[in-house]
Order: sequence, then C-alpha cells, then structure tokens
Amino acid sequence: MPPAQRAGRSRYRLALLVLTSITLLSLDFRSFGPLESAQSGVRDLLHPVTSIVDTGLSPIGDAWNAAFSYGDLETENQDLRRQIDEMTGHAIAVEANSAAFERLQRAVDIRFGEGIPTAVATVLRGEVGNFDTNVVTISKGSNSGIREGMAVVTGAGLVGRVSRADRTTSTVELVTDPSLIIGVRVVSTDEVGLGHGLAGEPSRFVIDQGPGWPEGGDPALLPRIGSAVVTATDSRYSAEIPIGTVVDVATPDGLAMVVTVELSNDVTDLGFVSVMLDIAPDEVPLLPVVPSTLVPIEIDPAQLDSAAGGGSTP
Amino acid sequence: MTYLRVALVSIVAISLQLTVFVDVRVFGVAPELLALVAILGGYFGGSQTGPVVGFAAGLLWDVYLPTHLGVSAMIFAVTAYIIGTLEAGLFHDSRGQVGTVVVVATMAIVVSYAFLNEILGVRGLINVEMLRVAAVSGVMNGVLSFVAAPAMKWAMAPTSARRGARVPVSRA
Repeated sequence: MPPAQRAGRSRYRLALLVLTSITLLSLDFRSFGPLESAQSGVRDLLHPVTSIVDTGLSPIGDAWNAAFSYGDLETENQDLRRQIDEMTGHAIAVEANSAAFERLQRAVDIRFGEGIPTAVATVLRGEVGNFDTNVVTISKGSNSGIREGMAVVTGAGLVGRVSRADRTTSTVELVTDPSLIIGVRVVSTDEVGLGHGLAGEPSRFVIDQGPGWPEGGDPALLPRIGSAVVTATDSRYSAEIPIGTVVDVATPDGLAMVVTVELSNDVTDLGFVSVMLDIAPDEVPLLPVVPSTLVPIEIDPAQLDSAAGGGSTP
Repeated sequence: MTYLRVALVSIVAISLQLTVFVDVRVFGVAPELLALVAILGGYFGGSQTGPVVGFAAGLLWDVYLPTHLGVSAMIFAVTAYIIGTLEAGLFHDSRGQVGTVVVVATMAIVVSYAFLNEILGVRGLINVEMLRVAAVSGVMNGVLSFVAAPAMKWAMAPTSARRGARVPVSRA
C-alpha cells in the first residue's frame, strides 16, 4: 500500500476510534444501563484471574510494604500501645456510660441502624490508579444484596457509599472524597448541613453548607469542640451514623459557618466493613428554594406598586 | 492472532496493576501499565494497528477507574497514533530509545488524563501532585519497558514473521 494511502487510512481509523470514545463518554454521562452492565460483566469476568494473580503475587506486595513501611508500622505500633493504655484507664467509665446509654436508648427508642440487615465484607484493595485516591474495592457485590448508594460502615461510623456493585465485588466511594456530599447533623446544636471530605486530608471532613453563623458570634450558640457529628435524618443514609467529632468552627465571611470534623474512621487502613442493605434515595432531599415574599416593615407597599409602574395588585 | 496475543498481554498488565501495583508504589505512585501497553502498541504496531491496541487497552483501564468510560481509551489511542506516526521516520529500535519514548509518552498521557477529566467536571486533578504523578509513573514505566517491550514485540509480531518469514517486526 502506498505511504499516502496508508496514512489516510490511519487517520480515518483514528477518527473512528475518537468518535467511538466520545460516544462512550456521552453514554456514560447518561448512565446508560447496558454500558454499565457490560463494564460490570468485564470486571466479573476478570475477577477470578485477578484473584489468582493476587493470591500468587501477594508476597511481593507484602515484602515491599515490609521493606518500605517499617518506620510507619513502628510508629503506628507505639500509637496503638499508647491508645490501649488510655482505653484501659477509661474502661470502667465507658462501661458505666454505655449501660446508661442503653437504658436511655430503650427509653427514647433511638435506633442506630437497628433492624437494617448488613453484609460484612473484606476490603480487597485500595486505589488502583494514581488519581482515584478515595475508593476501595470490597469482596461482596450484588449477589449479596448490595446495590449502588448503600451506606458502608464500621463500628466507628460511616466509611462511604457503594458507587458500583458488580456481582462479586463492589466499589466504595469513601467519606473522604470531596465530591461525595453527605447530609449531617451536629449533635450539640442540632443543626443540619451538608459536608464533604477535604482533598489531601484523609482524616478531615468539612460542613460548609447549612449552618449559619450566629448573630454576634455568640460562643454559646456555636457547635462545641468535640461534639459528635452524625448523618442527618434527611441524608441519603440511615440517620445517626457517626461521622466524627468537631475540631474547629470558623466563619470565612461572617455569615456561613464552616465546621471541621475529625473523622471517626481511619479510611486509610480498613480491613473489614459492613454494608447496610437498605434502599437509599438517589438524591439528598433538599428543601425547595422558595423566594422570600416578606416586605420590610418600613417600606410602604403602595410605594412598591408605584415603582413597578403603578399597576394594582389583584 | 496478533490481537489475541495483545489481549493476553493486556490481561496480564491489568492483573498486575490491580494486584501487585496496588501495594508496590514509589512515593505513593503506581506505574501505568495499560498506558505502557498502548505506547508500545504504537511503537511496534505503527499508526494503523497501534491506535486500536491503545483504544482497547484504555477501554480496559477505564472499566476499573472511577472516572468516565472512554477517557483513557481516547487518550491512549491518540498517543499510540502519534507514536506510530513518528516511529515510521524517526525512531530506531533500540532499548534506550524505547525507554525514552515510554517515559515522555507516559507523562503526556497522565497530564492529558488529568486535563480531560477536569474538562469533564472531575475536580482537583490539576495541581503539583499531577506533575509528581506524571514524573514518577513515567520513570517507572520507562524502567518496566525493558521487560514489557519484548512482550509487546512478541504480541505485535505478524504471524507470518513468527513462522520464519523475513518480515520486519517493528515496521508494520
């Protein structure tokens, strides 16, 4: 084939491939069902292969971690020992508190995920690419009743939500993902708002939509440092799932309140998780925005009518 | 037959990416093995076969990434085409040159991936971290190309060449 003809054919083929990519992108944006099923099918098909390779080659990863993460492990070990000492000291007080809490729970019928079935799964792997730092893959999928949007938790609180459910595995979008918006409630002030993770800070969560800064900045009306933060009743997930504790309260503009939360879960080191098998709504049920019709008391409505052209109100 | 062999190499690459290189990272960065398949596909397959190999490798990688399907496929296909076009006139089939091409092309792929995703609404990918990821994954891919290049050369070789006919391997 002459070089010019070959070059023309190559360009034609490339154009076709680019057009196919754009078609796939547009279908993916619309969450085209058959395309998602096909992707899920490919992952299910390759899962046995990756499992076998993982079993065979896991010593390489272990050896790598042992060689290059020894210092981190030593530090972590010291931290854990210190925490055990502290926890032992508080054990009796905690026992008394938990007994009181159980009584209170029975009295006011507060439920945290009670009655919702769960599926316990192992965390198979963390991020696979270089940019998807806020996802993990777990060992159970739609065969175990897991569906997209379900909450994933541990005993410490919310881990994230199922973003993709294949037959035997699922992908979980972690609570640290800045694009995952969660409806939350600050327990000490009972205020609700929307929060999300912070890029590059896997232990922090920020509530920046909802709570307003109290007039005059009265400290008594601010969320208490150390106060618990849980999922709100109107969130996508069951209410009262722990998120973390308040570590900072600030106002960037004197109007809105930004609450920084220390996450109760260490999502960088997960072994097992539980998926709450309840159906979650697709969207956070935000209240509809209704324009205010209130007229300030010092303005005469007749002036407004004349300013608007003298039309009379029916 | 060529495509079957390429499929086999791609499956090995994705398996290693999803298992070994989840743990084995340098400065927190993993190599981009599917990008390596696409680059070497362009290098050894030329501008006709290379983009198809790149597209398929990118599509396989997209299935596992949380970003939109088709992003990697498009970038890999275009990169393989550019390498395949340049390869015909500029490159000589030496190990050092393959490594250099892989390093530069991997960095270009990582940066393009971040930019295209940013255009598509995925926030937070364009920053200094992106440059670090591009540099480290480029160097890792360059090192791994010494192992991957013979495998891709085998996969991309025409069947007639494998049977003993004197057909140039790297100038398809």
